[in-house]
Amino acid sequence: MKITMVKKIFADGAPCKKCAEVEAKMHEAGQLERLDQVIVADEADPQSDGMLLAAKYGVDRAPFFVVERAGQPPEVFTVYFQFVKKVLNATTTEDEELEEIMNDNPDLDFI
Amino acid sequence: MNNPARSIDLTDIDTELSQQSPQEIIRYALENHHNIAISFSGAEDVVLIDMAHKIRPDIQVFSLDTGRLHAETYRFIEQVRNHYGINIDVVMPEAARVEKLVVEKGLFSFYEDDHKECCGIRKIAPLRKQLLTVDAWITGQRKDQSPGTRAAVPVIQDDKAFARPDDKLTKFNPLANWTSEQVWDYIRSNNVPFNELHDRGFKSIGCEPCTRPTGPGQHEREGRWWWEEATKKECGLHAVNISK
Repeated sequence: MKITMVKKIFADGAPCKKCAEVEAKMHEAGQLERLDQVIVADEADPQSDGMLLAAKYGVDRAPFFVVERAGQPPEVFTVYFQFVKKVLNATTTEDEELEEIMNDNPDLDFI
Repeated sequence: MNNPARSIDLTDIDTELSQQSPQEIIRYALENHHNIAISFSGAEDVVLIDMAHKIRPDIQVFSLDTGRLHAETYRFIEQVRNHYGINIDVVMPEAARVEKLVVEKGLFSFYEDDHKECCGIRKIAPLRKQLLTVDAWITGQRKDQSPGTRAAVPVIQDDKAFARPDDKLTKFNPLANWTSEQVWDYIRSNNVPFNELHDRGFKSIGCEPCTRPTGPGQHEREGRWWWEEATKKECGLHAVNISK
């Protein structure tokens, strides 16, 4: 199994806040070691590895994770808690999951 | 989880459906999904029920009862239930979680922190539970409701946030490309019942403590969580055109 994390930097060079938060969370949980590579999607460079991977898989948000297993199609995760639960067999609390859902989907405000 | 091939398919369908009317989008949704429900907020999204009811009279509808809605909204939900002769599944938050929030932070903590914790417990958690029971859902989300958070609302999307594990959930936003004016034209020309709060200046209707009327020229977003600063949330990936 090969796990790739794609994190973003904005066109002005600023790091993506959510990517940094997820990375910090993974560091704290000792999950970073489970990643095979972390690549950058540079919004100023459409040819950056991360932007190319995002285009390849039709992903429009960051961070995201690509999980490749021999003989199987790659799986792409854009929701962190789903990734850690399914791939890393980690546990997450409902509060953490709700917080991620709300942060990632501000359009839910008006539901 | 995201199946790349399916995402591409949905993008194609979205492009096609975006050219169609809300009624045609709803027809497509109902023809392609048996276990599908409308999320009804008790506001002008009542047009979804009117449109869907003409296609499938026993359409599933649910409303999220946060416990903090206006009395007018509760009356309106009941009016809609009777008007269309449908069942509206009124979904409530988990009592223990609400009680814990209130004991620890009081009844108006959202004015001190922000609305997310309360919304998470009273609205998003019950929504999530409800969506585990369906294969697709229909919302009244429109692009013009919030230039900041809804500008990119598609007509159809793969809802990864609320899908059951290893399963798919499709979300339809048939009104995505309609304006508020178009919605109200439909309501008037089809004699659709509406929440009486709209007549008192409420453009957007949510929970009572977090909703206020707006004046002429004010965007409807200004009627919700007005005490909070606009927070920049940016998780999207946007390629920038750079001449090289």
